[in-house]
Amino acid sequence: MRERPDGAELLAIAREVLRNELLPLLPRDKAYGALMIANAMGIAERQLRSGMGAQEEERRALAMLLERDGDLATLNRVFAVRIRQGAFDDNAHARELLWNATVQRVRESAPKALPGASSR
Amino acid sequence: MQAAQRTALERFLAQRADARAVRIDEARLLAGGAIQENWLLSATVTGGPLEGTLECVLRADAPSGVSASHSRAQEFALLQEVFHAGVTVPEPLWLGDTSVFGRDFFVMRKARGTAAAHRLMKEPTLGGDRERLTERIGEELARLHTLRPPLERLAFLPAPTPSPALKGVEEFRAFLDGHHTPFPALEWGLRWLEMHAPRTREWVLAHRDFRTGNYMVDEAGLTAVLDWEFAAWSDPLEDLGWFCARCWRFGQVDKEAGGIGSREALFRGYARVSGREPTREAVFYWEVYAHVRWAVIALQQGERHVSGQEPSLELALTAHVVPELELEILRMTGVGHA
Repeated sequence: MRERPDGAELLAIAREVLRNELLPLLPRDKAYGALMIANAMGIAERQLRSGMGAQEEERRALAMLLERDGDLATLNRVFAVRIRQGAFDDNAHARELLWNATVQRVRESAPKALPGASSR
Repeated sequence: MQAAQRTALERFLAQRADARAVRIDEARLLAGGAIQENWLLSATVTGGPLEGTLECVLRADAPSGVSASHSRAQEFALLQEVFHAGVTVPEPLWLGDTSVFGRDFFVMRKARGTAAAHRLMKEPTLGGDRERLTERIGEELARLHTLRPPLERLAFLPAPTPSPALKGVEEFRAFLDGHHTPFPALEWGLRWLEMHAPRTREWVLAHRDFRTGNYMVDEAGLTAVLDWEFAAWSDPLEDLGWFCARCWRFGQVDKEAGGIGSREALFRGYARVSGREPTREAVFYWEVYAHVRWAVIALQQGERHVSGQEPSLELALTAHVVPELELEILRMTGVGHA
């Protein structure tokens, strides 16, 4: 058993302190650094929250599409090679898989860029 | 700047400016530039045609000396060529070498204003009337694109074969092949770029990093186009696509030209000077290309951190722009639902 608050929760509250309490006090030329730290903490927090579930789901969908088993990196390598060969030019499943896997990564790295998110 | 460097530089400037003496009153290292170092110099020139105050920028190789782009001598030749073609750039003054400054460098006249993209986004009066500024950028690009091979001074630029688009596709694939992590969505984009590649019979000199952040403006308008280190022979529409690509609009997505103006204004300015009207469809190809190219560059920058060679939070975060670039590539090539 790990302590609560867990890693994601700690990152969330630490980020709030950084943004709300420290950032306003920083000299102008250090603000960019603080914003980068907040951004990095946000990515780490979202990765912790989403856990390995989506990765496993992606792996299973890929294994089905490619009709072979393997770890996620290996399957993605095969997927990439076959896309380059043109094997999936007209394959709806491949498109769906690409879309879903990419949306998941955007959700963690840059959620504001997701469809439906308010674009700023 | 070390005292010996400064003295040697003063002698160099005096000789090149045909002056009795030059005194450097201020030398300030400008922010940014991991590969090049930019020094803002304010000097007093005594005697000769430039008598008075000389404000200039010295651009040198960085001490680390990693250089994947053009050499300073090549960049100087590019700057001279585009300056003479009438493109608004900082006037190239003199090319120097290691014997003076310890590293290769050149000196150009300082341009007024700012290049900061975040200021352009926040201050709507900066750069003067924005539609006019956007048109002006179109005109500048058209003027740049009047330069065509062969040009003796630019003989170092390789031919973009089999075509500018397919050369890029080959390079990006070669990078991905040597990379530790596969990127299926980028492969998808590359496949699309391969299938839809234009033939491009006429090569022009393209800037290849012409976006908001790489030109300077003052209150009235454009003062200089900067950063010529990626310039190469290419398809003229590559520059228009790079400028219009959604990833270079700095959040102002409805301002399709660089986040500052309308696409129509950009094309209008371009057509006025070049006599050729770019079409939305033809430029679209290069917008997809821009996203793929920027994603590959972002991966390369991230890798400088990941490899341990250059630990940097900024480089580390650059790798995390890749997913949203991929999502946009998928949308543009008909994969997205939204």
